[in-house]
Amino acid sequence: MFGLIGHLTSLEHAQSVAKELGYPEYADQGLDFWCSAPPQIVDTIKVTSITGQTIEGKYVESCFLPEMLATRRIKAATRKVINAMAHAQKHGINITALGGFSSIIFENFNLQQIRQVRNVKLEFDRFTTGNTHTAYIICRQVEQASQQLGIELSKATVAVCGATGDIGSAVCRWLDARTDVAELLLIARNQERLQDLQAELGRGKILDLEEALPQADVIVWVASMPKGVEIDPLRLKQPCLLIDGGYPKNLATKVQHPGVHVLNGGIVEHSLDIDWRIMSIVNMDVPARQLFACFAESMLLEFEKWYTNFSWGRNRITVEKMDQIGQVSVKHGFRPLLV
Amino acid sequence: MPQLEASTEIDFYSAHYQDAYSRINAIVIEGEQEAFENYQSLAVMLPDSKDQLLGLAKMESRHRKGFEACGRNLKVTPDMEFAQQFFSRLHQNFQAASAENKVVTCLLIQSLIIECFAIAAYNIYIPVADDFARKITEGVVKDEYSHLNFGEEWLKANFEAAKAELETANRQNLPLVWQMLNQVEDDAHTLGMEKDALVEDFMIQYGEALSNIGFTTRDIMRMSAYGLSAA
Repeated sequence: MFGLIGHLTSLEHAQSVAKELGYPEYADQGLDFWCSAPPQIVDTIKVTSITGQTIEGKYVESCFLPEMLATRRIKAATRKVINAMAHAQKHGINITALGGFSSIIFENFNLQQIRQVRNVKLEFDRFTTGNTHTAYIICRQVEQASQQLGIELSKATVAVCGATGDIGSAVCRWLDARTDVAELLLIARNQERLQDLQAELGRGKILDLEEALPQADVIVWVASMPKGVEIDPLRLKQPCLLIDGGYPKNLATKVQHPGVHVLNGGIVEHSLDIDWRIMSIVNMDVPARQLFACFAESMLLEFEKWYTNFSWGRNRITVEKMDQIGQVSVKHGFRPLLV
Repeated sequence: MPQLEASTEIDFYSAHYQDAYSRINAIVIEGEQEAFENYQSLAVMLPDSKDQLLGLAKMESRHRKGFEACGRNLKVTPDMEFAQQFFSRLHQNFQAASAENKVVTCLLIQSLIIECFAIAAYNIYIPVADDFARKITEGVVKDEYSHLNFGEEWLKANFEAAKAELETANRQNLPLVWQMLNQVEDDAHTLGMEKDALVEDFMIQYGEALSNIGFTTRDIMRMSAYGLSAA
């Protein structure tokens, strides 16, 4: 049994989903109520691999909302993640992916210190951030979508925004080791971490966002923040491939220009329909087949019975681990979303 | 990403803390005393489970003594008058149901609502308690799970017959709990316990209990949030 811990993208979204699903007690409530709301299993899922193997899973709604971070309800935010994890474990789920902000909150607020949740002792090897698969899928999107748009990586400059994060650093490692990208631009807020990454890679230019974007043929956006960032498409190269791997995804609606191709990053398509309701709720274009790669990682771990926290901690994703998850991703019929 | 604020040190001997503690401690003592009496009433109503229920009643009495010791340890006199007033409506509802031999309603009030609330409150209290009270409370919370379990098992075994009465009893009694919680929100905050955390832990525990008894997720979401926004 695999699990997915997810949440909705805003209070307004949460209220409309609660209304649509017929939970009036939740639909009319403000942020205070959501800060007290318990986790719930709201969907059961059946996934069939192209090998014919079938697995079952559960979707745990954590009731976290990004507004909790924006309004500094930090304790509520951390409780949502920990309580959803305890809920998943109590329901006997073998491997659960921490979707959306869940893994970011877990890492950022050092929630590994909290082992005991009421009468449950959290077993962290039952959870995965899913970041290895997300990073792998983003890299494949860079390789394949650039080809679709006629951008030759051997002559291209790739800017990675959020380069020092768990996913960003893994993307840099892969692009360095597995592609012939001409130039890598590294963008992040923390200068010390940037220099460490540059030293590890032995290449890459450290630039600020304003300077980097106009030089890039491909932009990989993997910074996660509660609020989006304005990007002026007129200052970007034409053509430019912009892979929005951040959370929540909002660049496509903000950046609209014929020469700029925005691709939802870290999204996979499955070859067969998945029996679930939840992806239409999170507004995927093809809800029966498209999903976040981090969620797909828990499915892959379940298919392969690799009951371990495959992706865990910060900046530990190696190219070899990406290869390993990539092979089973292809084996079971997942492929990266393309333009 | 915003940062987590460092939690402030609690001064267990400040006048402000002790004033709040005099009410919270009294509520806990009174709650355990009423639980003792309620399980004795239930033992009469459910003769087949008499020995087990008297055993639970005895544990509640022991808990009361433990919490009295916590008050003495901090040199606080519990405000028992406040606590009796605090529980009065829930107490009346239990008495009325008991007089009519409504076992299901009595079990919902004592074994589900009160036990779930006690478990939630004790779990939230443990990390912010003084050393003496922490040890006592850790011991108590383990027992409370077994009390909750008694109600769950009985109601599960009689689910179809009990369902309608459980829904009615939930509507009558859960709103009282939210009002009681609001009444002590400031005092709980002084002790380092946040209201939204208390509500969340209660809903988790209560939801689990309802699920074990046989209610669906949809029922649970409706029942466990009943009356919260109006309180």
